[in-house]
Formats: sequence, structure tokens, C-alpha cells
Amino acid sequence: MNFTNQELKTLALPLLACLVLLGAGTGFIAWTQHQQGAAARELAASREQRAQARERLMRIAEEEREVKEKLEVYLRLRDLGILGDERRLEWADAMTRIRTQRELPDLRYRVERQRLISSVPGNPAAVDFYASTMRVELALLHEGDLVNFLADLRESGNAYYSVKGCSISRTGTAPTITGLAPRLRAECEIDLITILDRAAKS
Amino acid sequence: MKHLVYFTATDHYVYTWSGGKLELQARLAADDTGVSGFREYLAGRRGALFYAMADLAGEDFHEEQIPYLRGGDRDQVVQRRLAQRYRDTRLAAALSLGTVSGERRNERLLLTSFTNTQQLAPWLDALTEAGTKLAGVYSVPLLAPALAARLGVKDGRAFVVSANSAGLRQCFVEEGRLRFARLERTVDMEPEVFAAFVRTETGRLAQYLSTLRVLPRDGAPVRAIVIAPPGQRAAFERALVSDARLSFVTLDAAEAARKVGVKSAPAATGAEQLYLHLLVRRAPREQFARREDRRSYYLWQLQRGLVAAGALGFAACALFAAASWLDIAGKREEIRQLSVQTQESTREYQRITSAFPVTQTTTDNLRATVTEFGNIARRTAAPAEALVYVSKVLDEFPQIELDAVQWRLGRPEERASPKPAPGGAAPVAAAGQLAQVLELSGRVGAMRRSDYRAITAEVQRFANALRADPAVRVVRTQLPFDVTSEGTLSGDIGTAAETGEAPRFTIVLARNLP
Repeated sequence: MNFTNQELKTLALPLLACLVLLGAGTGFIAWTQHQQGAAARELAASREQRAQARERLMRIAEEEREVKEKLEVYLRLRDLGILGDERRLEWADAMTRIRTQRELPDLRYRVERQRLISSVPGNPAAVDFYASTMRVELALLHEGDLVNFLADLRESGNAYYSVKGCSISRTGTAPTITGLAPRLRAECEIDLITILDRAAKS
Repeated sequence: MKHLVYFTATDHYVYTWSGGKLELQARLAADDTGVSGFREYLAGRRGALFYAMADLAGEDFHEEQIPYLRGGDRDQVVQRRLAQRYRDTRLAAALSLGTVSGERRNERLLLTSFTNTQQLAPWLDALTEAGTKLAGVYSVPLLAPALAARLGVKDGRAFVVSANSAGLRQCFVEEGRLRFARLERTVDMEPEVFAAFVRTETGRLAQYLSTLRVLPRDGAPVRAIVIAPPGQRAAFERALVSDARLSFVTLDAAEAARKVGVKSAPAATGAEQLYLHLLVRRAPREQFARREDRRSYYLWQLQRGLVAAGALGFAACALFAAASWLDIAGKREEIRQLSVQTQESTREYQRITSAFPVTQTTTDNLRATVTEFGNIARRTAAPAEALVYVSKVLDEFPQIELDAVQWRLGRPEERASPKPAPGGAAPVAAAGQLAQVLELSGRVGAMRRSDYRAITAEVQRFANALRADPAVRVVRTQLPFDVTSEGTLSGDIGTAAETGEAPRFTIVLARNLP
């Protein structure tokens, strides 16, 4: 059956309607498919969240024990002044006090600028570990002075003292009658470590 | 709304059909004045859908056989047979009666047309000129198989007899297909007389068909479904007595209308209302009009088909989308339940953790702080222990004098001693493991410088003593005299007086961090 131009014109509108309807239907399917994909992703995420929440709940006894253990250390770090900003003035006070108490003939120190040595991810903020390297030179009457100095330094707090190296050498000074002249000289390199917990309550 | 034109020999009726209700719109004479009236009726009805149904006496039925063909070949053969049979094929049809299996397979055809097609031609021309859509031209016999089926005769042979406005219509149907029909004009008669007339005419038709061998001479009686005019069923039942040839079943017109599904029809309408209703509801495929007379109808069907295809496609898409949406709804419900469960677990977790000791920080940061601090502390050591250890060993070697002690944390450079100490198996450090490294530099006093054997032995004895702790290993020993094959050995023998300092040695110890 052949159509005339006039007849073809009468078919144009129904054809257009057909195409519009089919296009609308296809669009409708595409939209629901998109929604379906989004719902599937959201469902997977929800399942993961529930699994994590349940797992965390199941591990709560273990977590409680861990918190108790770690809290003890944490509070000790806080009490020692290791947690928080650097206290350089307190460090200087400690050096002066140790020298006086131990009657060290000579004590020189130099603290370098602070540097970040480690940053551990936390929640809600990271925990940063900083170190300031201190170089100490001191004159010793005997080897015990160095051991005592390091022990006093550790007890003074305000940082965690990590000794990286120490060298002891003879001064070459002959012993005097009074015997108070320093016979040894020590040089030490010590990291003064502090911790900055940005989630800690002040 | 659909329009129907019912043609009889004397009058033509125009009906409209809507929602199962038939309404008479015009009754026109079957002459030129009728045609003029029809044209007036069609004015302003451009595009209206029309069905034409003829109920005329001059309808020819002729059975033929053609080779079994399909498609265009069959159409050509059929048109040729119609042209051979009828002078005017404008209104002619070929009804298939099935196939015949013989030497070759043939198709049985019932060729049918009107002996005088010209009486309908002006009316059909008027429809075309008015721009209406002609669905087709049908005759009452073409609808008889559908009526028989509605009245319960779906197989076998049967006569369908009805009192139409055009007269007494008798159709013979076999296995659901029309085989023959005739129209006998009637006049007003008493019910008993009309019933007797029906009995006589039906018997005559059966006799005629037997003569033509359309009906077997011997066999079961043929059913004759007679639709009695309203209120005449009792008279018909009395007159229509079954015998060995015919088995009459009489139906009241109202009952037949109910079975066909007619809701409403004009009061004066005869049994043709049943055929008109069937024509609108389920028009048979076979009809008389040519393709060109139905062109507008085909175009309209194509338009509807396009829109219907679009609507069907949209409906299918919507159905698929609805199924997807149900899936989405299910997923969302599951997400909601999971969210509730997660919140319950979180609340329970918070309730329990609220009883934990006050931590000043979050649990995660507490864990991170202490764990990392532990790692740093494990990489740290104090020199005191190592110094005390060396001091104790040194007490046993008064000839040894240390000039310098260097302690550091680091990875020792492993170098074997020139001569490994017997029995002094130091633990092998893991490569790159952090350790306390202690480098001792000193000299052996109270011995002659030339007594290199004694000096070497003393240093080696000192080194062996330092290995007393299994955790401590001697990484390197540099003797006052290099006795290894790789080194250079030098001496100053015969000098009158020994000059210079005592020979120096270096021992490097290492102790791994725990």
C-alpha cells in the first residue's frame, strides 16, 4: 500500500506520539535503573556500616580492657608533661637544677628547633609526635656523673628523653691533690620528644 | 461512536452504536432520495467510522477450490476466480472453508457477492466522498457463524434462522464456517402462521442443500437455531417440531440479545440488531469492500496502531520501571532497617563506653598515642647499663686503660674479629636490627711494647671477657698489632730504648634492643 504525501502527513503526528511515548518509557527505565544502582550502593554501604557497628560492639570488652591499660600510660604521659606543647623553659630550669644538685663542673647544652617525627591517624584528629634534639657537653669527675645526669634528666619530665648517643673521653688533666678537677668529658645527643594529641581535652 | 448502515431491499437504516447501545439515527428509502438524505446525514461527519451490513436477497454463494497458496499468489488467484465468477467485483469476497487433501493440496473457497452491486454503489460512494472511514461492507450471513457461536453452536452443522427487518434470514453454518444463506421476504403474519412458514422454509432449505449434497442424505438431524420474534416463542415451539432431518431449538429474541451482549436496541428493530451488535464488537475478517474503498480506514488503523505501539511500549517500560521501583523500595526498606540496627548498635556501644574511665581524649587517639609512644620507647635505651657492664669487666683487667667510650643507638657494621674467640658464639643479629653500640678505645699498660704476643693475648682475653653476656657480641676488635694476613705488620727491633705510648686497641660491642 503506497501512501500519498497527504496521507503521510496524517501519519506524522501519530508517529511522533509513538516516538515520544517510547522515548519517555526508555527515559523512565533509565531513571529507575540509575536509582536502582544508587540504592544498591547505599545498601552495600549500610550493610558494611552495620557489620562494623556490630563488630565494634562485640569487641567492646576487649576494648574496655585495652582502654584501661592504655589510659594508665596516657595519664602518666600527661602527668610527666610529655603530652602537650614543648616546655623549653622547664627544660632549662631542669638543666640548671641538675647541674647545681650534682655539682657538675661544666654543663653546656643546645636545643635544636622542633621537628615532626611521626603523625599517627586518629579520630577526630591525628596525634603528632615531635622531637627537639639537645646536644649536651659536660665535664665529669667520674663516669657516674653521666649516669646520674641522664637519670635526673629523665626524672625531670616535661619530655621523653631518648638518648641517641654519648661519648666519654679523658680530658688529659692530671689529678690534683684536691682531686676535684674534671678528668672526663662527655658529649651526648638526646631527643626531647613531646606528643600533641589534638583531640585531647584541655 | 460507530455508525452502522443496514441495507435492505426496501429501506436502509443508519444506526449509531456506543457502549453496547444501538440507536436508530435515520431510515432512508433505497432510492435516489435515500441517497440524498444519506449525503445530508454524512455532512459534518468527516472522519466518522462506518460499518455497512447488507441484508439482501440476491447474495450468491459458490464453492470452488484453488491450489493451496499463501500471500500475494493466493490473492491473485482469488481475485481471478472472483473476476471469473462475477461481472462486478467491487463487492465480492472469498471465504476459506479449509483445505482438501488429495493428489495435491487444495483450498476450498466460498465465493460470495451480490447479484446487483449497483444498488449499494451510490451509498458507498457517498461514504467515500464524505471522507468517512469505511471499516467494511458485510452481509448478515458473514456474521452468522459468530451468532451461532454465541448461541452455543461452535461445531457441527446448524441452521441459524432469524426474523430480520429484511425478511426471514436462514444461514447454514458448518464447523463454524458459513456455507449457504438465503433471505425469504415476509409479510405481516400471525405468530402461528409465521412459525409454520419458518418450519416450511427451513425444511425446504435443508432439502435444497441435500440436493446439492452439502447436507448428507442420511445422518443425524441438523440443529436449527430459530430466534423467535418477541412474544412468539411459544407459538414457534409448537410449530417447530423436530424430526429425523431437523432438530429445532427456539430462542426468544430477548434471550438471544442477552447472549450476544446487546444492552439496548430500538424497539422496532428485528433480529438484525444481533448481527449489528456482533459486527461492531467482533467484525469478521472477510468482507466485501475493495481495499481502495477502505483506504481511510486502513490509514486510521495505522495511526491508531502507531499510537497504540507507543502506548504499549510506554506501558511495558512503565511495567519494567515499576518492577525496578519495587526492587528499589525493597532495598530502601532494607537500608532503613540496617540503619536502625546500626543506630541501635551505636547507641549500645555508646551506652557501654560511657561507663569507661574518663580518657581525656577519644578512644582512637588514646590507642594511637600509647601505641606509637610504645614503639618509640622500644627504640630507646639508656647508656648506663652498658657502661656498668664494661666497668665490671674492666675491674678484672688492671693493665687495660680505656681512653674513650662511645655509646650510640644504631645499626652496627658487622665485621668479624680477626680470630673469633673460642667458645664465644655471639648471637647473630638480624640484618639492620637496631642495637646499642659501644666502642671502647684504650691501651695495655704495664707491658713492654715489644712484647706484642702478651699485649695481643691480653686484648683478646679482654674481648672474650666482654662476651660473657650472651646478649653482647663483639662486632669488631682492632688489636695493637695487625696479625691478620690482610693487614700490614710493622716492628722496630733492636732500638736501644723503647719509646712512645703503649699500643692502642679498639673493641666494638653491640647489644640488640629488645
